[in-house]
Amino acid sequence: MNWYHHRDTVDQLAASYLLGTLRGQARRRFDAMLPKQTLLALAVDDWTQRLAPLLTTLSPEQPSPALWKSIVLRTAVKGQATTDSLWRRVFSAIPAGALAMGMLVGVMAPMLWDRPWVEESGAQLPASYVGVLGTADGKPGLIVSSLRHGAWVDVKQMTPVAVPPGMQLYLWRIDATGKTNALGPLPTGKWVRMALPEPAEALFSQAVELAVTVEKLGDTPLAPQLPFVYRGLCGKLWK
Amino acid sequence: MSAAAADTVEQLMGRVALRDHRAFKLLFDQTAGRLLAVASRVLQDRAHAEDVVQEVFVKLWNQSVQRSPAQTCSLAWMCVVTRNMAIDHLRRKRPETPLQWVDADGVEHEHDVPDDEHPSPMEHLLAHEDGVRLGNCLGRLETEPRQAVLFAFYEGLSHMEIAHRMCKPLGTVKAWTRRSLLRLKGCMEACA
Repeated sequence: MNWYHHRDTVDQLAASYLLGTLRGQARRRFDAMLPKQTLLALAVDDWTQRLAPLLTTLSPEQPSPALWKSIVLRTAVKGQATTDSLWRRVFSAIPAGALAMGMLVGVMAPMLWDRPWVEESGAQLPASYVGVLGTADGKPGLIVSSLRHGAWVDVKQMTPVAVPPGMQLYLWRIDATGKTNALGPLPTGKWVRMALPEPAEALFSQAVELAVTVEKLGDTPLAPQLPFVYRGLCGKLWK
Repeated sequence: MSAAAADTVEQLMGRVALRDHRAFKLLFDQTAGRLLAVASRVLQDRAHAEDVVQEVFVKLWNQSVQRSPAQTCSLAWMCVVTRNMAIDHLRRKRPETPLQWVDADGVEHEHDVPDDEHPSPMEHLLAHEDGVRLGNCLGRLETEPRQAVLFAFYEGLSHMEIAHRMCKPLGTVKAWTRRSLLRLKGCMEACA
């Protein structure tokens, strides 16, 4: 039996790992196995929770205003993507980016291929915009699609999120500079259709991502008021 | 409290993975003070502590902190990540850091001895509901083994460095830390 299957050994190593006394080759081996062996991760998690009060009970210190400014500068959180390329931004958004890219190819294309009017017309895939959005915990969340010149979007909800009473889902477009624009309130339901305020081409041609927040019912916010609950890529499905 | 303020660290981290700027700022607002306290405790240097906290948040945004999916993404986890990065920082500068020094105001400092104005780790633990169990269990350890555990935890000292610091044989220090961790686990499980 390998050492990482032996519960007592794993527990002792996890304790030393967290304490910081596991060093050198042993630590490197432990580090390498940690993402692969759930037993190790759970043992480290147990020791994290056990010893963390040594850290979490320290009296908080007020960070200087310069700290957040430095972080913003290094992460380009505000006005982001003005210097990053689109693809760097897209692929750095793991798991959402990876999920969305995989879903885009793996789920949307076969779905659209099966649509009867495609067979009837003998045409290639219809010119459409599609968005595949993930949830905050990396699950497939929403599939959003609209014909290129359509007046509405069809939305399939794959993983529902809780919408408290008095709140509503709200759809946003995100352009290449990271700027958000409101598209409107999104009805709740497994399959829903939402009317667009302008033709799809005008709304989605500059979109690189779509996102959804939970906003107060009846509000028409100009910017997201709460964190995104869904987010993912939006792309054109034509040549 | 607003709905956003009620978000847990785990929820916010999930949204940070979606490149959600607002969630990132909320995460900073909710945790930076505690992470700064952790880094300051390890480094005993406010400016370096802010450097470390900055590095932690940049890595969180870039999704470059190694973590198994089975590990809970909690404040505790963030504190441990910060402590590890602070210890790495300390190791890099340790050769230049004397154990005793006098600052620009003429005040004498000793690296591993908290000054009288700040409570000891034990006092911190016992003063917080979350830390009472660990504080009580640490309190049941003998003084020297407990000190060895705290040297390793807060300063990232190796067994050899602890042995040198405490003028004890290496084997004694290894046995202290191993037995102390076992006793801590047993004590905390018994008190659960």
